[in-house]
Amino acid sequence: MLFVLGGSSTLFSQSQADSLSPRKPIDINILFNYYEQDGIHSAVTGGLGTEELKDRAAKLVVHIPVDTATSIDIQGSINQYTSASTDNIDSYVSSASIKDAHATLTFGYSKFILPNRLSWNAFVGGGIESDYISSSFGGGITLSSKDQNQELSLGVQVFLDTWIVIFPEELRVPGMVSLPTDKRRSYNFSATFSQVINRKLQASLTSDLVYQTGLLSTPFHRVYFQDEELPDIERLPSNRYKFPVGLRLNYFPLDFLVVRGYYRFYYDTYDILAHTFGLEIPLKPGPFTSFYPFGRYHYQRAAKYFAPYGIHLREQEFYTSDYDLSGFQSLKVGMGIRYAPLYGLLRFKRGPGKVGMLKSVDIRGSYYWRSDGLRAWSVGMDLGWGG
Amino acid sequence: MKSKRKSYLVFSILAGLMLSLSSCVSVKAYEKMYLNDSDMALKDRKGAYHEINVEAYREGAAGANGGKIGGGCGCN
Repeated sequence: MLFVLGGSSTLFSQSQADSLSPRKPIDINILFNYYEQDGIHSAVTGGLGTEELKDRAAKLVVHIPVDTATSIDIQGSINQYTSASTDNIDSYVSSASIKDAHATLTFGYSKFILPNRLSWNAFVGGGIESDYISSSFGGGITLSSKDQNQELSLGVQVFLDTWIVIFPEELRVPGMVSLPTDKRRSYNFSATFSQVINRKLQASLTSDLVYQTGLLSTPFHRVYFQDEELPDIERLPSNRYKFPVGLRLNYFPLDFLVVRGYYRFYYDTYDILAHTFGLEIPLKPGPFTSFYPFGRYHYQRAAKYFAPYGIHLREQEFYTSDYDLSGFQSLKVGMGIRYAPLYGLLRFKRGPGKVGMLKSVDIRGSYYWRSDGLRAWSVGMDLGWGG
Repeated sequence: MKSKRKSYLVFSILAGLMLSLSSCVSVKAYEKMYLNDSDMALKDRKGAYHEINVEAYREGAAGANGGKIGGGCGCN
């Protein structure tokens, strides 16, 4: 229904726009990514066991300006992965063989109310994988100063998710384990203020307030207890507030050098406290090329409900052995190259008087290290088309 | 208690930083050659989308970076 409404608005806006101004070109980004990880702390097997995973992903991002004030955004993505840990829901000894897929689709609409000063946007979307169905919607407003040196964005996102509950094999006896709900709700209120500081320096501050409620644990994650052979499923509180605050600072000190800095403070009601630092230094040997080495450091204090394999006590109300919620440090290093010549890399005719082109290519690779032993690497490519 | 104090301190520093930005110089549109460069965008690169997703799953902390906060279990 929302899609139909969006479509009618688009047609209306388009007919108005055709008589007012030329349409801006459509932008399309096609993203590909390959990711591989391995570790020894799978939550499916209670904090011990392989975390081997291979993921192939593709994403399409389409930005369609309808006129100078209105645009439509469409995003679709698909992941296909093999996961050894998920394979162990049914059997302790297995291989990295189980296959799964995750697909998402989102439609967005944005419109300027005051030219270049005030705009609003809305989106609706959904996602599906074998054990999870999600729908989402949201919107926001953006207000810019007259000289475009300050900008304030306020937004809200709502995710309505439903689990297809799958318990570990040995806990499937009727009445053995139960859950109060299979629903998860996530509400995110976001505010971003960005500021131009001088001709070469700009910054932004983003603050989110996230509230999640419902089934926040994973039904097939096992937890093993002291002096007990039989595990239980992971149990976590059904409410969680998250408070992340992020600061970005981008500086262009020399004609061939940019420095992009990022810091995030994070705290949530599971008692996870985290600091994340990111640094990217694009080097520009020419006007159309950037080589950008990047690095990211993350420190995280464990959730108060976390303990390793066989440490929890059965009488506790909440428990997890998921090392994603443990205390650790992680480091990511990588390198990327972006090439975007003025007249594109490839041009083609896409209709009478219309030319499309491959505008940019961005290729990146990274290595991720987590202090509990998880290792991962990924390579990705972003092809930017326009016309 | 100590960590709470630390949190307030970090938050105060961030708030102070942003307040101090209100005394910035006004940059005209024709002076924004450097600011309009794609490497100066105040957001993550589109090509980093999948890495940010993975970090949201592999770390308990997420958000304030334009990444996702819901809509996937990330359970493997």
